[in-house]
Amino acid sequence: MMSVLRKSAGSAIALAMALSLGAGIAEAKETVKVAFIGPLTGGVSANGIGGRNSADLAVQLRNADPKAKYEYEMVTLDDECKPNVGVQVATKAAADKNIIGGVTHYCSAVAIGAVDIYHKFNLPVIVWAAVLPDITYGNKHKEVHRVNGTMINQNDVAADFMEGLGYKNWVIIHDTTDYGKGHNKYFSEALKKKGGKILATFGVTSEQQDFTAELTKAKALNPDVIYFGGLTPIGVRIRSQMEKLGFAAEFQGTSGIMSDAFIAGLGPLAEGTVAFREGAPIDKLPGGKFFVEKYNEQGYGESPEAYGPFAFAAMNLLIDSIEDVGPDRKKVRKVLNKTKNRDSIVGTISFDDHGQNTVAAITKYVVQDGKWVVWEDSEYVSGKRKLPGMM
Amino acid sequence: MTDKSKDMLIGLAAIVLGSVFLITFIAIEDQVEILVLIALTAIAVVVSARMGISKRISEAFSSNEPLMNGAVVVALLMVTLWFREDHFPLLMIATVMLYLTACLGLNIQFGYTGVVNFAGAAFFGVGCYTAAVLNQHTAIPHLMVVVLGGVAAALIGSILILPVLRTRGHYAAVVTIAFGILFKTFLEVNDTLGGPQGLKVPGMEIMGWNFNSNIEIGDEIELSFYLNYVAIGLILSVLAFALTRRVERSWIGLSLDAVRLDETAAACFGINIKHWKITAFTLGNFLVGMAGAVFAMMLGFIAPTNFAFGDSLILVSIVLLGGMGSPWGTVVAAGLVILLPEKLQAIQEYRFLLYAVVVILILLFRPQGLLPRGLREYVPGWRG
Amino acid sequence: MDVGLLGQFVANGMMLGMMYALVAVGFTLFFGVLDVIKFSHGDVLMVGTFAGFSTYLGLSAMGIDNAFVQLIGVLVVAVCSMAFLGAVIARYLVLPLKSAPPLNILLITLMLGTVLREAVRLFYPDGSNPKPFPYLLPTDTWPFGSFTLRADSVILLLGGLLVIVGVHVLINKTKMGLAMRAVAQDEETAKCMGINFTMIVLLTFALGSGVAAFAGVMNGLYYNEINFSMGLLLGVIGFSAAIIGGLGNIYGAILGGFLFAALQTVGAVALPFSSAYKDVFAFSVVIALMVWRPTGLIAEKSSERV
Repeated sequence: MMSVLRKSAGSAIALAMALSLGAGIAEAKETVKVAFIGPLTGGVSANGIGGRNSADLAVQLRNADPKAKYEYEMVTLDDECKPNVGVQVATKAAADKNIIGGVTHYCSAVAIGAVDIYHKFNLPVIVWAAVLPDITYGNKHKEVHRVNGTMINQNDVAADFMEGLGYKNWVIIHDTTDYGKGHNKYFSEALKKKGGKILATFGVTSEQQDFTAELTKAKALNPDVIYFGGLTPIGVRIRSQMEKLGFAAEFQGTSGIMSDAFIAGLGPLAEGTVAFREGAPIDKLPGGKFFVEKYNEQGYGESPEAYGPFAFAAMNLLIDSIEDVGPDRKKVRKVLNKTKNRDSIVGTISFDDHGQNTVAAITKYVVQDGKWVVWEDSEYVSGKRKLPGMM
Repeated sequence: MTDKSKDMLIGLAAIVLGSVFLITFIAIEDQVEILVLIALTAIAVVVSARMGISKRISEAFSSNEPLMNGAVVVALLMVTLWFREDHFPLLMIATVMLYLTACLGLNIQFGYTGVVNFAGAAFFGVGCYTAAVLNQHTAIPHLMVVVLGGVAAALIGSILILPVLRTRGHYAAVVTIAFGILFKTFLEVNDTLGGPQGLKVPGMEIMGWNFNSNIEIGDEIELSFYLNYVAIGLILSVLAFALTRRVERSWIGLSLDAVRLDETAAACFGINIKHWKITAFTLGNFLVGMAGAVFAMMLGFIAPTNFAFGDSLILVSIVLLGGMGSPWGTVVAAGLVILLPEKLQAIQEYRFLLYAVVVILILLFRPQGLLPRGLREYVPGWRG
Repeated sequence: MDVGLLGQFVANGMMLGMMYALVAVGFTLFFGVLDVIKFSHGDVLMVGTFAGFSTYLGLSAMGIDNAFVQLIGVLVVAVCSMAFLGAVIARYLVLPLKSAPPLNILLITLMLGTVLREAVRLFYPDGSNPKPFPYLLPTDTWPFGSFTLRADSVILLLGGLLVIVGVHVLINKTKMGLAMRAVAQDEETAKCMGINFTMIVLLTFALGSGVAAFAGVMNGLYYNEINFSMGLLLGVIGFSAAIIGGLGNIYGAILGGFLFAALQTVGAVALPFSSAYKDVFAFSVVIALMVWRPTGLIAEKSSERV
């Protein structure tokens, strides 16, 4: 009992001292809270952590800037890439009156569930990696913005490119969340326009372990390419199980499998996998070198992964808006809505009437020697190496 | 001062202390302060148990039941009104109420009748999905939808009745576990019910009063819209609690207890085992389903991962932690299990782990739970 | 359907059946000996697999690259460490609760399973991510038309078969097995006959857990991936398999394991719905079976004291 009393007295004294010290530091800046939501645990945690570090980098750089009007504190929340957890943490962030804005979501399945929450609580958010078009186009919520592109462009370019390489037959495997279903829809449409044939489509659950049933049926149809619309963990499983069945088709993925975890999980099997992502490769971005430099300076243990730069740009944009109009949710939302031709490390950002930024460039990648290499820089384009089934 | 008024005062004092604790606990954010508060409370509880104060309080409670029950409800209302403008604390309180209703249902199933049910989260989910589908596609009034959620859960529960009746002990457990997993997998692969993406649930609306918009009084005061849901949750839990008590003290409860304690002997005395098991199972699922329907409308979004096996385990553990067959125990346990992990941010990551360890410890050292069920009172006021 | 394709599915089903059977054998052993369902079995399996994985990492770090040596090392460490863990669980968590209502034991073991799962998720470095399990078995494949026979499947099947035969021999032909069967039949009489009850219980749990660890390593080698939640579903399936076959009966457990795998394969292949419904199908059949035969296919012969 005495020790408890002593402890609470001790903490009271410490608190008083801290307060007085704080007051002593003339004109301490007001602290403004911003939220970051991403998958920090689970199969795609590498991307979530990369995004978190990048957003944190933006906050740290701004706090080190003496010209900043406010002191920023980033509240990090983990959505585990599960829609219901995402809705819970979104509610937590949105219900906290001290959080002025958020940089949210890598997983489309989570984002599509959470947009209503942000609207309900009037929290302005900028999506940093989820690609499902409906997130911005499926509603009229003024609170939701997005700096990265949607999957429509990705799949158009993918269909064009693969058809151009001479492939004719596809089997599509997609996960049954809105993300996978979206990829299926847009890729099928794009492919039909180019004349490719889709022999079969399989939907799989995101926790599925065993794909021998689907792959055996697919193998019997003898396609040239397996198109996979989904995230890294399942991509790894499908590719390795294809190998076990002696299934030699080309493996084509989307931005969902573009992570180092995909290569780490497959080792040499990843060689020759093709994937597409919006945005130029990081070293070709206008602010790419600056970002990489500062990122390494801070000494984060993990790589920013594919969407780190977008998270950085989103957080900077949010902080800029707060600096402009002060920590007020409605005012920040109005400023974000009017964003046109703002410079950022990923190029200029302009939000259309649905809060969507247009990202023109789609980059094609191929796995070569254990790394994601831009297609044009790879040995495949020069013919030194061949993709399975390529003429 | 007469004995009776002394009793009442002690009971009321305990309730007031409890509400103050609750308000402080929910209000403070700083981790250190929360730990200090918890430590102080734990010490107070242990000391009062040693000094016999808790015994006096429980006697006060049982001899003045209507007054004490009313006082608790009033206290809860006070706590809610204290937080009238803060969204998150109200969300937590409403969640506790709804989980309490569900666990009271489970209590009837195995606290009284001994029918083990490891698919509690599945029936909760049935209620949620019923609300989602009915709210989106039909114009059925939402109060009715809540009742229908309960009915749906009871109906689906009746599919399981035949296997549950025919099996005993571990075999019955496996039937409910299998059903729970089946339900979640079914939801995930079936697209009509949203698949793994989940479903959006339109909020509750009763006679034009939209539950999802903040209540504005004048220009200054904007009350959180969660107040509405807390109100419904409170009504539901009070009804469930009253129902449980009435059932327990009637001949129905007597029969249920007999079935749990010794099936063969009960059958010899003419109690229809099948009849009572079916009644208990259905009634319990009805309560769970209703809680689920309101929960879905409150959250606005549900997905199959809400209703995994782990969540069923949480429901079962709340009943066990509070003490099987003890409604007040369930109240305390529900509050603890839901509020504690939310407030102790530092242990957010570890909450399942800590939680499982606590249950193991309770099972090893105090299997009768926090507030064990007392002896049955055959004549009001009789103390044996 | 083309024979090769059918063969492929059959081969896959056999693999799954073997793994489920191994887990189910554990459940049945525990039930036979102590009348308890140790629900943490699936998670013990997962811990064993992770132990094996760590051994592999350790051996590689030490520079030992021979796949065969690594395989032996992984197996030995996984099986022995889990045998030890199983005995510890029996001693401290199950034996003290022998006289408690069965619901309590079920719950305590379920919670223990949760503790194991969360501990691995939180404390194992990067535990929440699935981990690639190394390819320690020869990866030759022999294609017969549309049927590809994998060398590693054959090896795993043979290994599993050996373990099951070994368990059978142990239970039926050795003195220790005799003691186990005696304890399973009647605890008090066995004690009167001079059998060390506690020792036999610990040994039984060790045996069951070791077998589960073997199944876990098999699973890791087959799918080349392990994650912290692999034990939950395997445990439930193993439990269902043991129940279908009738608790307390080893042959019933094996039968139940293969039956469940057959149900899953049939559900994946023959049904018009997508293969993801296979679990729904399999579990529905389990529930239906429980209605038809409440005490399992090979019913336990027991009398009840009233």
